[in-house]
Amino acid sequence: MNKIRLESVSLSFGRRELFKNLTLEFSAGKVVGVIGRNGSGKSTLLKLAAKILKPDTGEVNIHGAQTVAAVTPEMKIYDALTAAENLNFFAKLRGKNINPAELGRRVGVDFETEIRAGDFSTGMRQRLKFAILLAVDADVWILDEPTSNLDEAGREIFLREIKSGARGGKIILLATNDAADLEVCDEVIELPAGGGDFS
Amino acid sequence: MKLSNFLQAAAIFHKDFLVGLRRRAAFAAMAMFSLTAIASMSLSVGGILIEPKLLAALLWVVIFFAAGAGISGTFEDEAAAGTLATLKLYAAPQAVLFGKMAFTLASLLALTIFLLPVFLILFDAAVAQIFLLLATILLGLTGIAAAGTLTAALTVSASTKGGLFPILLFPVTLPIFLPAISLTEAALTGAEFAPEFLLAMIFYDAILTVASSILYDFLD
Amino acid sequence: MWKLIIFLTATIIAAIIFFVPPVQGLGELAKIIFFHVPAAWVSVVGFFVSAFYAAKFLRTGEMKFDELSARAARLGFIFVILATVSGAIFSKLTWGAYWNWDPRQTTIFVLILIYGAYLTLRAAVPNEKARAKVSAVYSLLSVLTVPFLVFILPRMYFSLHPEPVLNSAGRLEMDAEFLAVLLAAVLDATLIFWRLMKEKT
Repeated sequence: MNKIRLESVSLSFGRRELFKNLTLEFSAGKVVGVIGRNGSGKSTLLKLAAKILKPDTGEVNIHGAQTVAAVTPEMKIYDALTAAENLNFFAKLRGKNINPAELGRRVGVDFETEIRAGDFSTGMRQRLKFAILLAVDADVWILDEPTSNLDEAGREIFLREIKSGARGGKIILLATNDAADLEVCDEVIELPAGGGDFS
Repeated sequence: MKLSNFLQAAAIFHKDFLVGLRRRAAFAAMAMFSLTAIASMSLSVGGILIEPKLLAALLWVVIFFAAGAGISGTFEDEAAAGTLATLKLYAAPQAVLFGKMAFTLASLLALTIFLLPVFLILFDAAVAQIFLLLATILLGLTGIAAAGTLTAALTVSASTKGGLFPILLFPVTLPIFLPAISLTEAALTGAEFAPEFLLAMIFYDAILTVASSILYDFLD
Repeated sequence: MWKLIIFLTATIIAAIIFFVPPVQGLGELAKIIFFHVPAAWVSVVGFFVSAFYAAKFLRTGEMKFDELSARAARLGFIFVILATVSGAIFSKLTWGAYWNWDPRQTTIFVLILIYGAYLTLRAAVPNEKARAKVSAVYSLLSVLTVPFLVFILPRMYFSLHPEPVLNSAGRLEMDAEFLAVLLAAVLDATLIFWRLMKEKT
């Protein structure tokens, strides 16, 4: 069974101690929502789980799962490339053959266009980022505020895809400030304000 | 390198090439920098015949600083645009390094194809041993690309970037410059050259490439 | 430790002033060689010590090794400046010019550039962990230049420098007392470096 396990993880930024002795497990086939106030460490927790950040002490182990994909505000796409070029590039990095047009239909944007991603609207770019996540078909989905900047229709598409991803056995972590996103979550973790001692 | 890493590196090279074609800023900066540097020197000496040794040194100084203008942003541009984080998530570190190194070498080669004729014409210099000159330039650029790519990765976390890149790159590429200048001089004059300098350059290029590969893993 | 160093230093200075005969034709000031050689030696030692701790830092990730690597580089930078200045004075006395790019002068100049680049890089990176990583990587990268410069430089520049203490013929070409004082001075400088490395901050 695929899972991610954080074992007595501690992390601080300078003097700001965010996590102390945090132990958590995320298993496949479930959407785990992460909520908490600004600065509580939602994004950091996701980065730790994805091994983008290394903890100061403790361990993060990803069992079974091989690949990680993410939609986060700081991970940008290439503005100089078109949607299809962006999709093809990231798919190629993961050895996948994809059909941009079909992915475009799934997220509700026309990707068969010469328009570069830099000229997309914020919402369209968000949908393109999500399409990249779908394109690479990773085992672990890291979703940080994925529905921000989306209209209602966009949110519905995203939540539907997230649900079906979980049914397909993905490990899905969803950090959000939006209560509407919580309807797809099977579990919700609430982080205390300002991080905390979890021992 | 694993096959998947090689394919990733090739994809990154292709992507950098596409972005480079559309955002011509980096290449335009390199080309204009070299043109300005050559013109300023050629104008100020005003047709005086310059010794081959000095000419060889000038050529490499121009190449070095033009390279600095063009390749210092190899990682920084992506970091500023926010795409570096995405790239690092989706590609293996070694693929990122070698994809970028290959693209850096390609842009340096393109730069030199532009710069060398301009240089030779404006300084009215004849080349006696063209193959020696080309071999020297190829080996020199390979080393600059290897050291420059790693150095560009080092400067990403720096807050003050102005001038940092050439400061860091110069000492590390000195073992390339010294033999390259000496070989270039021989190529211009047709004098006998020291083959051990060519070997030293090949060897140093190889060492720089391997060292960059090993050290880059620690930067993650 | 400081007591021993002060005693040793005082003895060496006394020996240089009163015991060592003036260098032929160069006058008293040429005795700056007793300062120059040890300073140059320590600047090279500092360079390798810095790289050694850089490697240790990358292997273990412990910040104390980064601190030691940085300190060795800071000390090395001071010593390399002292060595360059004293070397230039000696050069002016013996060969008539402050600077003439002979292989060893070039080497020490490269060392200044590397130390300077390393310390500039450290100053430019605000984040502690990132600074430790990038400066360790740069330190190790710059060490690679050493064997190549040692190979290339003597083939590019004509050397005016005195032969090394033990020259290629394996013969000593110095007065025994001159040599003894010089070696003691080198030892003294190394001890000063070593003690400063251990200094608590």
